[in-house]
Formats: sequence, structure tokens, C-alpha cells
Amino acid sequence: MTVRAASLIRAARARGQRMLSEHESKRVLAAYGVPVARETPVRTLAEARAAATRIGYPVVLKACSTDAAHKSERGLVAVGLRGPRDLGAALAALRRRMGRGARGGFLVQEQVQGSREVMIGAIRDPEFGPAVMFGLGGIFSEILADVVFRLAPLRPHEARAMLRAIRARRLLGAVRGLPAVDTGALARSLIAVGRIALDHPTIAAIDVNPLIIRGRTAVAVDALIVLADPVPPAA
Amino acid sequence: MRRAVADLGRFFAPRSVAVIGASAQPGKPGHVVVRNILANGFPGALHLVNPRGGEIEGLPVVPTIEALPDGIDQAIVTLPAAQTPDTVRALGRKGVRAIVLAASGFAEVDRMGAALQAELGRAIREAGARVIGPNTTGHVSVPARFTSSFFPLGRVRGGNISYVAQTGNFCGISLRHILSAEHFGVARSVGLGNKVDVDECDLLEYLGGDAATGAVFLYLERLTDPRRFLRVARAVSRRKPVILLKGGASAAGAAAALAHTGALAGDGRVADGALAQAGVTRVHRYSDLFLVARALAVMPPPRGNRVSFLSPSGAFTVVLTDLCRSLGLEVPPLEDRTRARLQALAPSFIRMRNPVDIFGSVALHGYERAYGDALDAVLGDRRVDAAVVIMMLTAETGVPSYDFLVETARRYPDKPVYVTFMGAHEHDLAARAWLEPRGVPCYMKVEEPFEVLSVLARCRALTA
Repeated sequence: MTVRAASLIRAARARGQRMLSEHESKRVLAAYGVPVARETPVRTLAEARAAATRIGYPVVLKACSTDAAHKSERGLVAVGLRGPRDLGAALAALRRRMGRGARGGFLVQEQVQGSREVMIGAIRDPEFGPAVMFGLGGIFSEILADVVFRLAPLRPHEARAMLRAIRARRLLGAVRGLPAVDTGALARSLIAVGRIALDHPTIAAIDVNPLIIRGRTAVAVDALIVLADPVPPAA
Repeated sequence: MRRAVADLGRFFAPRSVAVIGASAQPGKPGHVVVRNILANGFPGALHLVNPRGGEIEGLPVVPTIEALPDGIDQAIVTLPAAQTPDTVRALGRKGVRAIVLAASGFAEVDRMGAALQAELGRAIREAGARVIGPNTTGHVSVPARFTSSFFPLGRVRGGNISYVAQTGNFCGISLRHILSAEHFGVARSVGLGNKVDVDECDLLEYLGGDAATGAVFLYLERLTDPRRFLRVARAVSRRKPVILLKGGASAAGAAAALAHTGALAGDGRVADGALAQAGVTRVHRYSDLFLVARALAVMPPPRGNRVSFLSPSGAFTVVLTDLCRSLGLEVPPLEDRTRARLQALAPSFIRMRNPVDIFGSVALHGYERAYGDALDAVLGDRRVDAAVVIMMLTAETGVPSYDFLVETARRYPDKPVYVTFMGAHEHDLAARAWLEPRGVPCYMKVEEPFEVLSVLARCRALTA
């Protein structure tokens, strides 16, 4: 499992990437058992339509490249595409916004339905080493900063305690007719993200934001793995 | 290459000590340290070294380290920085394995000082000794009736609180503050100085296994080995409270800042999380090192965050309930039988609940019965983890005897009871001077007992 992740990261570094694309990032997460949205990388309209048919409408179309962090702010995400016509229009619009000569392709992704969003992250702290973050996700993550950090590796009880440590902890319970989140599975995802940071010292940071709660399960719909600046060879 | 914790025993329970650089001149560090050792009644052998020989404070002085007898446990060196590396080597040859270095003028000053510190490191390895300092006022070990401090301390009061501080002044000025402003005493106290050898991990590990230490308070600026510190703290915090004041948050690297997570890691959140994980209770004010210690010196942390308080003023019931909420403390509704007991003491027009408005009961029954019965009632309530008593003391309204507070608190040894005041200051001071030595912590500002409870409820939750 981790061999696949390691080769993805190695290849990205060899190409001089500073970060993994969204799709590469999610493949690393999936290799460690984090539930991720179904998706297919595409380059052409024909490929996009084939992928959408396979995944099933409605779908999301996103620009997917290695320099496209903060996609929604740049209008590089189209959600709620209900059929081939929507998809074609969205693809044309995204191409326009990306401009001529933009590198990278697109991702056709299942539209994960759910009204609750959380975030998982990891960072290599200069003093304490790899640390895992959990918090409120989506557009609120930066505004409310309702997050908690713990060092990796996380023990199961520590991961579960993180879920209870944010102010918005009640969000994970049975609220407003929504079922309670499967906290066991979410805790395993936290442990997994910490494991990724520990296993791969060339990773500087990981964002999994958001994970959308579908039914009882938190599914990663966007992700970004940032690589450490390459160390100059020792003299 | 880590040496055993047992090595540190020579610092805290030495049988014989030598002062290198002992001085006959009052006020000199080499003189003050001798007076401190004598003032504390150190029962072991005390040897003094000064090239001039003679006598200091009635004790004979030998001219050189070579002239000392063999088998000395610990040496305190009060010589200038430049002489310390050679002195350490000479002590090593003499078989001394624990050395306290007072001098400043090392890496904290300039590049020449840093070079000298590197040479000192080499000398320490050659000598095979453990070293506290340099650049420190030293340490205190009250169970051994011993101190290496060159700051005038006099006799240090014993207790169960131990301190490790990354500031040379701790065994000087801060300890003097404790001795003069507090009633609790200390077990061990160490000023780390430049941490050229012994660091906070070594000391926390030692204090974790130290029967004389009931709680460890640390002031640190930089962790020498963060992962080891957390490992040690995790083990120690299961046995006794570990309270840390840590300054300075580390900034995320540039690459990590490209991610949301990196941006959110500022404000010391990683340190907060890591320390919580290790059961370390973080505080953010220097005075917490004393206010929280005052409580832990005599009472355990509360089992939870549910507080009751007795107030002679309606205003306090309002503002202090607000304060509790902002501090993460609950002021829970009381059990029916508790309320019935409280109501039996009160005039019928006051509805008794939590917080307890005690004024009417005092008017009916006097201080002792009103406060005493109400305190007993709330402490007996299964929904309450701790109680705060607010006393209103003036000559005109009467000043009670305080025995009942001590007796009631003793009946509930698992539930902390703190006292605070509003009234004529001289009575507050007198009440504190009477209550604290008898095991009831008192706070001069009405917010303080709640702030301390909030810290200690966190402490309990982290290590539960």
C-alpha cells in the first residue's frame, strides 16, 4: 500500500513538483485507507463524458494540476453538473479561466452529497515534528479556526479525543435529523494522515479539506499534499 | 548516550559538597552560597576551596581542588567563566560527578562565550560529570537541607512543590517571592541556565520518581529534545500534575505554509496539542506558577469542572458565574436534598440554589453556621467537584474564627475548597495567614480561585 504512495511522491519530486495534484494526493490518501470521492482524471470532452457516465450524474468538474491550490477561489470548480450538456459548458468555462498554455487536465468527480464538512491536515512542525490536525472544514476552516492538533503517531483513543476537542464537536452527533458520524472511521482517517506524514519525510504538509459527511461517513472530496523544498545535495 | 537518572541524586541528596571559589568577602557569590548552605542546616560535609586558604564562616579553606579529600558528591563552582573548563577537568580528576556552574558569560553573551561553552562541553565529557548550568543561580533541595544558590535565600521552607525553570533567576528572585508571599514550600527547585548538560527532560524524569515532589512546575523557553520531553512528561503526568509555562511558538516552514494546515498551525496550536497529549497542563502567566502551586500544595486537582460557590453578594453570583462560563467551568444545579439543606438555613424570600447567595443565612444564623453548613451541603453534593467560599470581612459585620472552614474542607479531601475575600483588607490578610498554613488556599482577588480551578480541571481531564 505505502509502496504505491512512495512511488507517487518520488515521481512528483523527480518532475520538480512542489505539490501533488489533487488526484495524486487522493491516491496517496486512498492507499492509506482514507475514504475518497470517486473520480477520474480527463483531458478531453469525450473522456469527461465517458467518465461522468461511469461515475453517474450529478458530477463535479475541477481543474487538476500541480499549481492549482485554492481552486474554488479561482473559479476552477464546477459543481452540480446534471448532464452531458452541463459538463460540456463547464469544461469550456474552466478552460477559459485557466487561460492559454495552462498545464494539467481535469477531474470528473462524483458529487458527494452532505451538509456537514470537516477537515484533516498534517504538518511537520519544526519543533515537535509531524502533527495531525482536525477541525471544522470547508469555507469555515480558516474563518473560525476551530481546529485541534496532536502529534503523530496517533493512538486510537487520542484520535477519538481529537474529534471531541473542537468547539463544534456536536456537529458530529445526531443533529437536525442527520445521523451521527461514524467516529471510528473518522478517527482511523486521522491516524492514517499522521501515518502518511511519518512514513514520507519529504511531505511538508497535507490538507484534506473538506471531507463531506455522506450518510455517516466522512469522504475526502479535495486534498493537497505539499512537498518539502528539495534539500541541496551535501557538499 | 544517556546517563542514568540516578546520577542526579548527587545533586539532590549530596553527602559532601565542595564550593570552588568560596569567598570570605560578604556579598560575593562564593560567600553567599556558603551562608545559604549553612542557613539551611546542611548535615553533610562542606569543603571550601580558595587559593588564599584561611577560614570562611568558621570553616577551614583548602587552596586547591587537589587538596580536597576524595569521594566528594557535588561541587559548586563560583569562579569566572574563563576558569570553568579547567576547573571541571580538575574536579573530574578528583572523582566529582555532579557540578553546578554559576558563572555567566557563555553562549548567552557573544561568539567568544559560545566558543567557551563548546570547550566547557568537551571538559564535561572528559570529566564524566553531570552539570547544572552554567549561567544559573543554582538549585535547591529542601529534603537534603541543601542549596547551591548564590542568591541570598536564608532558610528555604519545605513543601511538595518542585520547580524547573529555564531562567537563572528562579532559585533567586522567584524563590524569594515564594518564601515571602506564599505559605507553601518547595521540595526541589532548579534554575537550568544554559543547559549545557542537565536539561528539563532529565529533571522531569527525576522529579517524576521523587517521593518528595507532589507536583512539578516548569518554565521553559526552548525544549532541548521535544519528543523526549513529551515521552517523559506522558509518564510523569500520570503520577503527578505537570504544569508548564512555555514562551515562544515555533513558526511553520515556508513550504508547509502553502497548506491551510500550515497557516492554522500558528499561535502555538501544535505545542498546545502536543503538550495536552502528554498530559502537560499549559498555563500562560508567570504568576500561575505560584497561584496554582498554592492550591496543589495542599489539595488535589478537582475531579471535574463543576463548581459551587458561596457569595455574600448578588453581584458576585452574576459576574462570577459569567467568569466560570468563560473559563470552561460549570456552575451546575444542585441536588434537591442540597437545596433543601440550604433553604432550611435561609430566609424564605431567598430562593437557594447554585451559586449560593449566603447573605440572608448569615444574618439569621451568623457566619460559622451559615457558611459552615452551606459549605458542607455543597461539598456533599454529587454534582459538585469543587467549592469557592467568598468571605466578607469587616470589623462592623464581624470577623469569625475560621476553624469551621478547615474542618469542613478536611471532611471532603477529594474536593478542593478555596477561599477569597471582599471587605477590609487587613482582615483578609489575617484570614489568609491563618487558613493557608492549615491547608486552605486563599486568593486575594475574587477571580483567582476560579482561574486556578479552571487550570486544574484541565489538568485532571488531561490525565484522567
